[in-house]
This record gives sequence, C-alpha cells and structure tokens, in this order.
Amino acid sequence: MNNVDEVLAALASQRYVAERSLGVAVHLALELGKPLFLEGEAGVGKTEVAKVLASILDTPLIRLQCYEGLDVGHAVYEWDYPRQMLAIRLIEAQGEGAHAEVADIMSRDYLVARPLLQAVEATAKGERPVLLIDELDRADEEFEAYLLEMLSDFQVTIPEIGTIAADRPPVVILTSNRTREIHDALKRRCIYHWIDYPDFEREVQIVQRKIPDVPAELAADLARAMEKLRSMDLFKPPGVAETLDWAAALAVLGTERLSPEAADDTLGVILKYQEDIERLRAGGVDQLLATAG
Amino acid sequence: MAEPLTHNLVHFTRYLRAQGLRVVPDTTTDLVDAARAVGLEDREDAYHAFAAVTVSRPEEIPVFDAAFDLFFGTGRSRPTPIEPIELEVHPRGPRVHVIAPTTVKVDLGDEDVTDVSDQAGASAVERLATRDFSDLTRSEFAAVQRLIARMVWRPADALSRRWAPSAKGTRPDLRRTLRQMTGPAGDLMPLAMNAPKPRRRPLLVIADVSGSMERYTEMLLYFVHAARGRLGKVEAFVFSTDLSRITRELRHRDPRVALSQVGMAVHDWSSGTLIGEAFAEFNRTWGRRVTRGGPVAVVISDGWDRGDPAILRKEFGMFARSVHRVVWLNPLAGRAGFEPETRGMKAVLPFVDDFMPVGNLADLTAVVRLLESVPKRKELR
Repeated sequence: MNNVDEVLAALASQRYVAERSLGVAVHLALELGKPLFLEGEAGVGKTEVAKVLASILDTPLIRLQCYEGLDVGHAVYEWDYPRQMLAIRLIEAQGEGAHAEVADIMSRDYLVARPLLQAVEATAKGERPVLLIDELDRADEEFEAYLLEMLSDFQVTIPEIGTIAADRPPVVILTSNRTREIHDALKRRCIYHWIDYPDFEREVQIVQRKIPDVPAELAADLARAMEKLRSMDLFKPPGVAETLDWAAALAVLGTERLSPEAADDTLGVILKYQEDIERLRAGGVDQLLATAG
Repeated sequence: MAEPLTHNLVHFTRYLRAQGLRVVPDTTTDLVDAARAVGLEDREDAYHAFAAVTVSRPEEIPVFDAAFDLFFGTGRSRPTPIEPIELEVHPRGPRVHVIAPTTVKVDLGDEDVTDVSDQAGASAVERLATRDFSDLTRSEFAAVQRLIARMVWRPADALSRRWAPSAKGTRPDLRRTLRQMTGPAGDLMPLAMNAPKPRRRPLLVIADVSGSMERYTEMLLYFVHAARGRLGKVEAFVFSTDLSRITRELRHRDPRVALSQVGMAVHDWSSGTLIGEAFAEFNRTWGRRVTRGGPVAVVISDGWDRGDPAILRKEFGMFARSVHRVVWLNPLAGRAGFEPETRGMKAVLPFVDDFMPVGNLADLTAVVRLLESVPKRKELR
C-alpha cells in the first residue's frame, strides 16, 4: 500500500467502507511509523479498523482491552507463579541446604507475556503485528503515563531481566470513546483521527457491503431513519454498529421495507435506554420513515 | 522538500497555536513528514494529512479548516461556520466583580486562624463566619475570601482499582512472596499482601447563577475556585437557563482572573432558572464524560425553578444515579423558619444525600468537613 488510494482499496476489499480522511490517516500512520489514535462515538467502527488492518497486512492482531485498574501484570507481563513455585520445590528437594536464587526463578522462561510485551517480542521474530489498545479512556491516568513511555521507545524494562526492545515499532492503533479526555502529551505522539457518523450514502454502502442479503430499499430506509435518530438529542444516539444489528434483525424477520410496526418491534436493537425509546414513541415511530424534504 | 514550504508550515503551525490548537514546535516536522508521505498534488489529501497531525479533538476541526483555507486557498469548501475556540469574546463584559484583597484591611484577630468554626475566641472572625454573604460590606467580603483561601481541605479518599503493598491487605502479592522465597528460608513462608490503593475522589460542582442567586454567586464561585486549587480534580458547571462548563476557566491560579474568565464565558448570568433542563443538558452532553471515578456532586441552588417539576425529577434522578453522592447547598436553608417547599426543592430532595445551608462562612466550613467523611461505598436508596 503505497498511497492513499491503495489503502482505501485494501480497506474496501475487507468490506470496510472508509472516508478518504481515514485512508489518509492510516497511510500516514504506516508511512511515518506513528501510532494511530481513533476517537469517536461508540459503534462507528474504530476497533474494526485494527482488525481489518491486521488482515490486510496479514499479521497477528494483538489486542489490549483497557479497564480501570489495568496494571503491568495484565498489560505487559506477569510472572508464572505456579512454575516458579515448582522450581523452588525442585531445587530444595536436591538436598539439605539447597535453596533457589532469584536468578533461578526470574528468567524469561518464567515470564508470561501480556499484549504489550507480546507486541514487542513479535518484532524480534520479524513480524510487524497490529497492536490494538482498545478504549483507552477506560484505563486510569497511571496507565496512560506508562503508555506514553512505551509508545516513544517501544521497549519494556523488567527489573530482574533487563530491557527488551522492539526491532521496529509495531502498527499501533489506540481507540477512545471519549468518556474522558486523553492527555495531550499522548495524543501528540499519534496521528489523530475523529471518526464521525457516516453520511447517508456511505451508511447505505456499509449496510450493503456487510450484510449483502438486505434489499437496497431497506438499507436506504435504515440509513434515513438513523440520520433522523442521530439528530434527535437522544441520551445515546445509535452508531453504525446498531445500524448493522438492525439490518440483520430485520433480515431475520424477512422485512422488505421499514414500516412503523417493524421499526417499533425492533427498537430494542438500536436504542438501549428506556428514556430514549419513550422519547421516540412520544413523537411517533413513523417520524423515522418521513423522507427528507 | 522545497524550503519555501517548510517556511510556510512554520507559519502555519504558529497560526494554529494562536488560534488555540495545542500544537508544539515539533508539529512543523510532522507537517513536513505528512506532506512528504501523501504528496501535495491532491489538495484534499494534504488537507486530511495536515489535520491528522495537528488536530487532537473534534472541536478543533472547524478552526483547522479556516486556517487551512487561509494558508492554502479555498478550493475545498465546507459549509460549517467558523468559531475560534477559547478566543471567544462576548460583547458583554465580565459580570463578576472581584475586589482586590490588597486594598482592604480588616482586623482578623488571630492571624493564624485557619479553621474558623473552631475558634471561639476570635470574635471578629466569628462574627464574619455567621454573617450572611448577602449582608457583607465590601471589606468584609474580601476578608471572608481570604479566610476561604486558607481553609484546610482533607477530603475522604475513595478506593482505586489498583493495589499496593499493605500489611493489612486482603489479596496475596505472589510476585513479592515468590521473591521472598528465594535464598535460605526457614519453615515459615509469609504471604506478602496487597490492599486497594486509595485515590482522591473527584468533585463535581454544578452551581445555579440565576437572578435569585445573584447575591451569593460571586462568593460561591470563589469557594469553588479555592476547591479546585486544593483538590485538583474538580469539574465545575454553572446554569440558569443554559448549562456552561467552567472547569477550564477556573484553572487560572489567580481567583480574580479565573472569575473574570468565567464571567466572560457564561452568557446567561442572572436570568431565569430551568434546573430540569440544565440537568437534562448535563446528562446528554457531559454525564458520561465527567462522572468517571464516582465524584461527589455538589449542587448549589436555592431551588427556585420555573421549569416542569416532572422533567426535573426525571433528569435529576438520572444525574443522582451517575455520581457517588449528592450534596445540595441552599443559601436560604440557614434562615430561621426555612422549609424546602419550593416545587423544585421538593422534586429533587428524594435524590439528595446531604442538604445543607450555604449562606455564610461557617456553612462553607461545614461543607469542607462533610467532604472529609464521605463514605467509601455509595449509599443505596
């Protein structure tokens, strides 16, 4: 993939319909060897970019799901305690006074690699894996600070062993749902891209690419209804993921066109707050079907 | 890369910074690299590439667009109107007036007084402490502000989801235990333990600045500024008919500067009150972005509301469920014979954990004390 057009074509070949701006951001990240920071509302296809990219590049996808309290033991490495325990027992069983030294039980053999170390070690095998750091906004600031260091030199320091460095940086993709602001220092090291909701035509394309057995008219109905829903000041506006779920649900029910009854029956697929469902029903579900203009 | 382009990009970077984007000198290098990677033949690609290395939040996109058009021509047009961020100047001047403390001299008695309510002897201070904010003279006003600045904050910690070594811990630390097992050992093998690490619980302040609160607003915002200075993790909002986030404006160390920035950023001072609508706006736009980490929410309002109590009940209930604890401060509550009987107050009281007066300095001290004893677990209703 040597230019933006080739990136877009490759994404399309994996059934990912992307805006040109995303193609440029991906191209830059790969060319300049910088992490790609994707921000956007839930369900606009941020995580999917990493999955698709891994399959385009034919390289392993290493995924780190962030959560509050995420620590080194789950993100980078952990010692293999049962094996260490056995090793100590074995040494002690060799005779009176025999005992284990730190070096006996704290070598690479006793280390369990977690995603970040896995990504660094994979580069030593000549691979360039895609490292997905998903929903970074869920992790706490301490982890963000660690990541800052990691993303600048791609090396992991283990006190008992030493420093393990990547031969060349992996492809790193970070995502955030923006439940909090990520620190500027971290964003500055990345190529930043805000993924917006797709426009009408693109959403129709996405539905048809992803779920080929949805009739064209239904895909257009859904894209129109989604445009309307997202302009409605809901507590949680539906994303593209919801559009696809909705299309799949209606396809299962054998629906050809979106009717008020069909929409009402399946509201639970797209709206996940009772307040939002009430709000929509108060104005009448048929407002989703009104054509623009 | 041609020299004139690099030169141009240096100016572009400077211009973006002047417009409020968070760019650094390195950004120029990034721009040059980006130009090299995508080429400059295609304007649209250059536009996307430059945006990817300079923009770091969606609000900055319109600002970037305007700057790009200015520097590289307007071939690619966007219908979005241009609104520079952070440089916004409203035609109305600051409505918050702060008196410079240096121009005022008031005998405070004992100069070492930090905790007003505990000082029975300091009569001048005590008189100030119980005087309603709306009755203060200008010099007393400044004196109270100085006392607020010297308050001692020791808020109760929350437990984080991180663990730290602790003798009284509840979870074994296998890494340390196994390390201790190396070397000549006795028969006893002590387990190293971890306990949850304490963390500072964030504070979320939502203050009513409508007409009926006017005589209290300045002092209370001063208090919020002091809290921000001491606690760090403070998110602040004000509302009357609309809701405005003032966290960024309060960041300035000097309270006079911070409050005058707040004055400029908020456009609906002293108008009517729609509490329910303000909380609806909070729930939609901010709720999930500023309620991480279980904040203690401090709502400051007299509860006079012109909106629909049903909306208020629904939205405030939703708000209360998204925070750790709700403290409602009412400047009128300390007055003799006060009953929380306004429609607004009645609607929200079922969701309020602590209802307190906030008419004078002693009340503020009581609030600071309350924050010291916030329980670690959320109280269920």
